[in-house]
Amino acid sequence: MNQSNLPFSRQASSQFPFGSKGLLLGAGALMLYGLTRRSKSGLALATAGGVLAFRAAKPQSAPQNTRATFLVNTSPERAYVLWRDFQNLPRFMAHLKSVQVLEGNRSEWIAVGPMDREVRWTAEITGERPNELIAWRSLPGSDVETSGSVEFRRDPLDRGTYVTAEVRYRIPGGSATAALAGIFGKHPEFMVREALRRFKSLVEAGETPTISGQTHGPRGLHGRTEEVLFRETTNHPEPQAASGLPRIA
Amino acid sequence: MKAVCWMGKERIEVHDVPDPKILNPRDAIVRITTTCICGSDLHLYNGFVPTLEQGDILGHEFMGEVVEVGPGVNKDKISVGDRVVVPFTIACGECQSCKDQLWSLCDNTNPNAWLAEKLMGYSPSGLFGYTHMMGGYAGGQAQYARVPMADVGPIRIPDGIPDEKVVFLSDIFPTGYMGAENCNIRPGDTIAVWGCGPVGQFAIRSCFMFGAGRVIAIDRLPERLRMAEQAGAETLNFDDVDVVEALKDMTGNHGPDACMDAVGMEAWGHGVIFAMDRAKQMTRMQMDRPVVLRQAIMACKKGGTVSVPGVYASFIDKVPMGAFMNKGLTMKTGQTHMMRYMQPLLERIQAGEIDPSFVISHKLPLESAPGAYRMFRDKQDHCTKVVLKPWEQQQAA
Repeated sequence: MNQSNLPFSRQASSQFPFGSKGLLLGAGALMLYGLTRRSKSGLALATAGGVLAFRAAKPQSAPQNTRATFLVNTSPERAYVLWRDFQNLPRFMAHLKSVQVLEGNRSEWIAVGPMDREVRWTAEITGERPNELIAWRSLPGSDVETSGSVEFRRDPLDRGTYVTAEVRYRIPGGSATAALAGIFGKHPEFMVREALRRFKSLVEAGETPTISGQTHGPRGLHGRTEEVLFRETTNHPEPQAASGLPRIA
Repeated sequence: MKAVCWMGKERIEVHDVPDPKILNPRDAIVRITTTCICGSDLHLYNGFVPTLEQGDILGHEFMGEVVEVGPGVNKDKISVGDRVVVPFTIACGECQSCKDQLWSLCDNTNPNAWLAEKLMGYSPSGLFGYTHMMGGYAGGQAQYARVPMADVGPIRIPDGIPDEKVVFLSDIFPTGYMGAENCNIRPGDTIAVWGCGPVGQFAIRSCFMFGAGRVIAIDRLPERLRMAEQAGAETLNFDDVDVVEALKDMTGNHGPDACMDAVGMEAWGHGVIFAMDRAKQMTRMQMDRPVVLRQAIMACKKGGTVSVPGVYASFIDKVPMGAFMNKGLTMKTGQTHMMRYMQPLLERIQAGEIDPSFVISHKLPLESAPGAYRMFRDKQDHCTKVVLKPWEQQQAA
């Protein structure tokens, strides 16, 4: 990785879709709500809120790395071309709403966080080797500070292409928020793995599998909670079939 | 449309829900003419398989008419107006698993693969109406269903064959057949089959198709044992005999060449270990009751094969691994690789070699599903297989 010495400023937010200000507000609200409950569980909630607020107010935790590799049944050339066209990224990165290619080697990324909050950053390509590697980082002034790379390596045994993605990020509040993010499927570790899995599906099958928008009976509180726990909520309400995008496979 | 919804443990309700829509390019919508309740649906009914959501539409054995196809569907394979049987496993046809004919292990059809990976290391294919760990796809106990990857799975059925003869190509006939194939049968072999439910019945008949000399069928329900006898099997009632001892006796201390567990996670038995299994399952300390699997391993001949078409969901205790290892056994299992078997088995039906409708004990309108689940679970009214008709009205009682 050639951007391991990337500077991360203390004020910078992260790949994580709520910043430390929002986190502080939320933690405060949780504390207030817990205290007004005047019960043991209320007290527990307030304590949790307190811990969260303390973590959020603390300086940024150290940047972290996440890395995942998937074997995709295609050539490095084809995998590279599909990934390099950044407008394709939202088709397999579930947290992205859009990527707009700008002048030079820049692009504007828009992700959607909880409560439909938009998170934007401008990325620039920092390294590129055709059919092998693409690396990028966010520029100052972005809502998040992140960098990453994706590498394509032909399997010597001819079973396809190993696609390795590595993303560097920071989570405000450290382990407490990381745990919370984990529950809702917003942890970068999860998102990177799922992005690769969906890339593989899109390349091999021409679509990514989904049940988002399918019919079902009354969910009730029970069913709706499970939908969240199983991370089935989505930023892409429009079905893939209606997108009019060309078939990839 | 009307759909059978899982609303909680032992709570099945029929609800009016929105019609399914095309979501992905390779989807199709099927208007369902016949659908069934599977024995594996009873594991869901009893609440023993994790990751169902309240409001899920159940059902994975269905057939009907294609009424809409998505823009990415290969029209040579499936088009509007086709009469099709839909397999219960969903496969993309393009990944390495599919290319290796391991269709139920498709890499690209489970949107919740991460959930399955937590429990199994890697995710099998998506399934219809069978928990969110297996994809959470709405099932086919309904008037319509969305069928993803519609140009891979569904098989065209010519007119002139009634639904009842071909609908079991959706699961239980291929599942019984693969259970028999997994027994590695050589002509004249003796095969013991635990469970004479619908899958067991097809397995018994398939064992003979593969050239088995003897099939010994094990169950406790007289009507199911009779059905096994009609196929030419010898029978054992596990309420009356110690199965492992009886098999030893019947095979001259040799043991069956292969043993098949067509029961799975909710097996019944007797004795202290069985009582412990039940207690552990009730308290969620063990999700599956491996009564039959233990017997199959103990009963199997040295160097024999244990075939497991019965469904298991997670972890089991006290499996006699020492016996398994020291006797040099082989185990073969898996969700059925449906696309391997549907066409050849359809041809056997067309040739008159088998009429699968023999397993049907009840034909009911869709609205009767809640009572039908209970009846099938409690084995009332000699229930072996329930077929549901989504477009027929319920008769006034």
